[in-house]
Amino acid sequence: MLIFTLRRLSLFTFTMLLLTLLSFSLSFLFPGDPLINISGAINATPSQLIEIHQRYQTDSSLFWQYIAYVDQVTSGNLGLSMASQSMISHEIMNLLPATIELSIVALLIAMFIGIPLGFLAAIKHNKATDNIILSVSMLGYSLPVFWLGLLAILTFSINLGWFPSAGQISLLFEIELVTGIQFVDILISDSPYKWQAFADATAHIILPACVVAVAPATIFIRLARTSMIEVLGTSYIRAASAKGLTFNQLIFRHATRNSLIIVIRHVGLQFANLVTIAMVTEVIFSWPGIGRWLIVSIDQRDYTAIQSGLLVLSCFIFVVHIMTDFIYAALNPLARGIKHGER
Amino acid sequence: MARDKIYLEEVFPSPSMQLWINFRKTPVAMVGFSCFIFLVVLAVFGPLLAPHSAIEGQLNIPLLPPSWHKDGDVSYLLGTDELGRDMLSRLMYGTTFTFGLSFIVVIISLILGVVIGSLSALTTGIKSSFLNHFLDVILSIPSLLLAIIIVAILGPGIENTLWAVIMVSIPQFIHITRYAVKEEFRKDYVLASRLDGASPFRILHYSIFPNIVDRIMSQATLAQSAAILDIATLGFLGLGAQIPLPEWGASLANGLDLFYIAPWTVYLPGLAILFAVVSTNLVGEGIRHALKMRKER
Amino acid sequence: MNCLNPFCKLALLMVLLGGCNDQGKLSLSQRSIIYCAEGSPESFNPQLVTSGTTIDATSNQLYDRLIAYQGDDNTLVPALAKSWHVTRDGKKITFYLRKDVAFHQTDYFSPTRLLNADDVIFSFNRVLNPDHPYHIVSGGKYPFFQNIEFDHLVEQIEKINDYTIRFHLSRADNNFLANLATDFSVILSAEYAQQLSVSNTRQYIDTFPVGTGPFKLKEYRVGSLIRFYRHEQYWQQPAQMEQVVFDITSSNTGRLTKLLAKECDVSSYPIAHEKITQHSDLTLESVTALNVGYFGFNTTKAPFDNVLVRQALAYAINKKALIDTIYQKHAELAHSILPNSSWAYDDETQAQQFNLDKAKQLLAQAGYPQGFTMDLWAMPVQRPYNPNAINMAKMIQADFSKINITVNIVSYEWNTFLQRLSLGEHQSFLLGWSADHPDPDNFFNPMLSCSATKTGSNRTFWCNQHYDDIIHKALKTNNISKRKQYYAQAMTILSQQTPLIPIAHSKRYQARGNNIIGNIMAPFGGISFYQVSKLALANEHSSEQDTQKNTPTSVDNH
Repeated sequence: MLIFTLRRLSLFTFTMLLLTLLSFSLSFLFPGDPLINISGAINATPSQLIEIHQRYQTDSSLFWQYIAYVDQVTSGNLGLSMASQSMISHEIMNLLPATIELSIVALLIAMFIGIPLGFLAAIKHNKATDNIILSVSMLGYSLPVFWLGLLAILTFSINLGWFPSAGQISLLFEIELVTGIQFVDILISDSPYKWQAFADATAHIILPACVVAVAPATIFIRLARTSMIEVLGTSYIRAASAKGLTFNQLIFRHATRNSLIIVIRHVGLQFANLVTIAMVTEVIFSWPGIGRWLIVSIDQRDYTAIQSGLLVLSCFIFVVHIMTDFIYAALNPLARGIKHGER
Repeated sequence: MARDKIYLEEVFPSPSMQLWINFRKTPVAMVGFSCFIFLVVLAVFGPLLAPHSAIEGQLNIPLLPPSWHKDGDVSYLLGTDELGRDMLSRLMYGTTFTFGLSFIVVIISLILGVVIGSLSALTTGIKSSFLNHFLDVILSIPSLLLAIIIVAILGPGIENTLWAVIMVSIPQFIHITRYAVKEEFRKDYVLASRLDGASPFRILHYSIFPNIVDRIMSQATLAQSAAILDIATLGFLGLGAQIPLPEWGASLANGLDLFYIAPWTVYLPGLAILFAVVSTNLVGEGIRHALKMRKER
Repeated sequence: MNCLNPFCKLALLMVLLGGCNDQGKLSLSQRSIIYCAEGSPESFNPQLVTSGTTIDATSNQLYDRLIAYQGDDNTLVPALAKSWHVTRDGKKITFYLRKDVAFHQTDYFSPTRLLNADDVIFSFNRVLNPDHPYHIVSGGKYPFFQNIEFDHLVEQIEKINDYTIRFHLSRADNNFLANLATDFSVILSAEYAQQLSVSNTRQYIDTFPVGTGPFKLKEYRVGSLIRFYRHEQYWQQPAQMEQVVFDITSSNTGRLTKLLAKECDVSSYPIAHEKITQHSDLTLESVTALNVGYFGFNTTKAPFDNVLVRQALAYAINKKALIDTIYQKHAELAHSILPNSSWAYDDETQAQQFNLDKAKQLLAQAGYPQGFTMDLWAMPVQRPYNPNAINMAKMIQADFSKINITVNIVSYEWNTFLQRLSLGEHQSFLLGWSADHPDPDNFFNPMLSCSATKTGSNRTFWCNQHYDDIIHKALKTNNISKRKQYYAQAMTILSQQTPLIPIAHSKRYQARGNNIIGNIMAPFGGISFYQVSKLALANEHSSEQDTQKNTPTSVDNH
């Protein structure tokens, strides 16, 4: 386990290095003055400008400038947004939890729908059910997510009126922003309308989470199906079947657990994919998350925000990736000896 | 006089022919394949076949519904948008952009990716480890995010979208080529060639490539469907094709304002994207299925 | 029934949540209005901006002015000043202030006194005096005041006593009172300014605002929402709504979706009017606005520094097609920058008619027979004077291609767009103007005068001394027919020089649920929620909420 941890840590540091290098170089690649791009201080007075020059070490060589940049980032200064002139770290702190909330709920939905369906398809391998599930999953995988979002709004919000079409919660409820995750904030707030707010927030999250979950769910279907087929073909299952276990016992006691392990491993990979889909969905459902903020920043040519947003988002995705690797390695001892480049 | 059959088979199909025969046996894959060919033809000849211009509209007929509506007009089969442009022509021109470009993206990134991947598979030691880590990093950043970064630097526009999606697709090919080449290198027939004294390039060219071509092809279809979706998403977000190019994602975004009065301007581009991605995926599935069947024989 | 199965537990939880008494949310929604706004405000102080979106969000909600407009003929009535006196030579104006006006009490400020002369003097000196400690705060640009050359006009503001102040003007100006009644001349709190100076956070005066208006700021989430609470100590009758929330939704379809799904009570700039009128519980309303949508040239950049080129392009635009398609016939074709509802409108003014041959001829004369390439900047958002500038740009692109001119359409996010325009990065642009008050000078000055080029609101950067002289002369006299003559002359110069091509005067629309009553829009200026109230819907529980009677009090801000 130790070697595994050390390997992962080295990967982590290497990645952080690369990401910060990429982010740092962005300030030179974007049009405009690199110092303004990196700090976002478009309204700075001359004295403030001198102070910023000092902070980012603009007189020294590129190497020291990079070190100064990393220093600023690790101490929490991600610059000011060019559009709103507020601290980017504050804005991100408010927005990132909303994206996390959406992604986690979507991941759960994708897992709870995708994995059982995949197992079902594997059990009924090569029969009608299998083909139907595969076709539906191929359709789900091919749908452009923005189109799906629009259709969902049209059907469920306008025509049927079941779910609201935008936002995280009705604006009438004033839930104080503490953690940024709406459900947690509602529970710890002292508003008199706690339970209505909770129900309202649930209604608001269902539609966007389902839309985000469609593509990952189809991938889970495929993964679960492949792994279950593989497990069902192994000798220990055949042995158990020969011993006389019933079908239910076989599936639930043995096959499921072993197939799950392979699937869980891919959850980490899927998360990156999911966050990207969530970004586009946030734009359609006006979900106040970091994806929508990033896209608006690109529209506004707010280079500081783009730079810092990308750094934070990529870091976040990578951290989740490493964490799921750890969880998987903890669950499955076979994984710890895994070699480079094998996935 | 009837010729006696001395051998069981007169013709031994090559691995590629075997693949094709297996592929042809799957009806679903053939349907997908024909759709795919249809789209390729449309992408190349669309501008010639389209009945009206996709860019200039007849301003006196804005927002005509599709012809099966009572207000529709058969000469504008799928209706018009708010500037009177024929939807059918727009979709046909759009095939060139969304589908045609994705094709080009895949070809370029395939060539570059395979070359880099196979060269890097020959390296060992620190270089190899470094490359592995680098690839891991790039692969862990979602492709859309990377495409957005590149577009943010280069600015919006269809050429920059092209570069962005190419750069984003290359890592997949590098990774799969590396993996496949490394795997083949461990096999005995390659060992035999090496013992014979063949140079690495010769081994690559004669021994390994023919055996990994199929895996690369199946990856290529996956990459293409991802590229179609990426180009359309970038177009939808306003970062891709600019006004007034009829790229499918941009057309969809254009129709968003008219969603309530002219929903076909939103439905039709979406259906087009769906159609293209499904046919590409069907072809991909067919190739993978045929590969499996060939292996199982 | 045993409910140990996790599915059963989940189902039970859902039933409990769903069956929860909805009374709480209902009564909340009864006391609040949600307004779907089309954009974020640039600041919370109208003094610093000219953008309609910012004025809508701030001016009539948070602040009051010394005097206000009322009624259909737009007479000036008292507001914070209960009366005023103008000397015969028109150079000294004395205002007598009310003694019962309270400032907002918010999370960041608690007033210890009522409004007095110090507040008025602070509000105007900040704009006038470059050495004032607050002048440079938040950028130091006061576009409206700089356009009307306020600092040249007002020599001094004298405090006579705690409730009386006197403006000393350098010359008589008929527009002065009108300008003091616009949305920009708001009164800030000097006590708050003092508090901020002490804590060295002066910029908060524009981002955490304090005023005397019917609503106070509770919360602002950038790009998402603005939450206003009712000001309980308002000097007039407090507003009927306890809470007003601005839900910032820049997509047109998004606003309509929320309106249809009842997530918004009122929506700005609605699209798909037929869909709204089809709905039995929605109402579409409009006001004929004093505005103009135009196509402007950057007259400092070639080839638009050549008047022949500008005229040529004016002949090449098919205005009628634009009105039919873009405005869907909800606008009048513009012959000049003044709409015909203004008293200075002149029938005689000639505008260029659509004539492609003439356009080609003039282009050849100017030396561009083979055409050229140009860029056209179009706004991404809907404005009262232009519902879809991007599509208008596309149509103009098609028009110009017939005379061999290639057009590249450029667009940015709204605030970025305005910012870059004022820096002169463009060659030509689509924009417009909504009047702040009914005086015609409000059209001629801020768009096209020389002083406006410095503040950035004259995006054509056209500066014609003769034109400036005429409009200044028109301000000096009281005689309506003489002023009309001057403005006719000014319009003739504009028609000859063509720094911009006026396209249309449109109506401003708004959509609301049938249960919302009270005036929100006005023919000019920003919107106000002061008079709005909500009827209880027939099938909802309504204990104390009955039909609210809507009694306008003595003064209202349009």
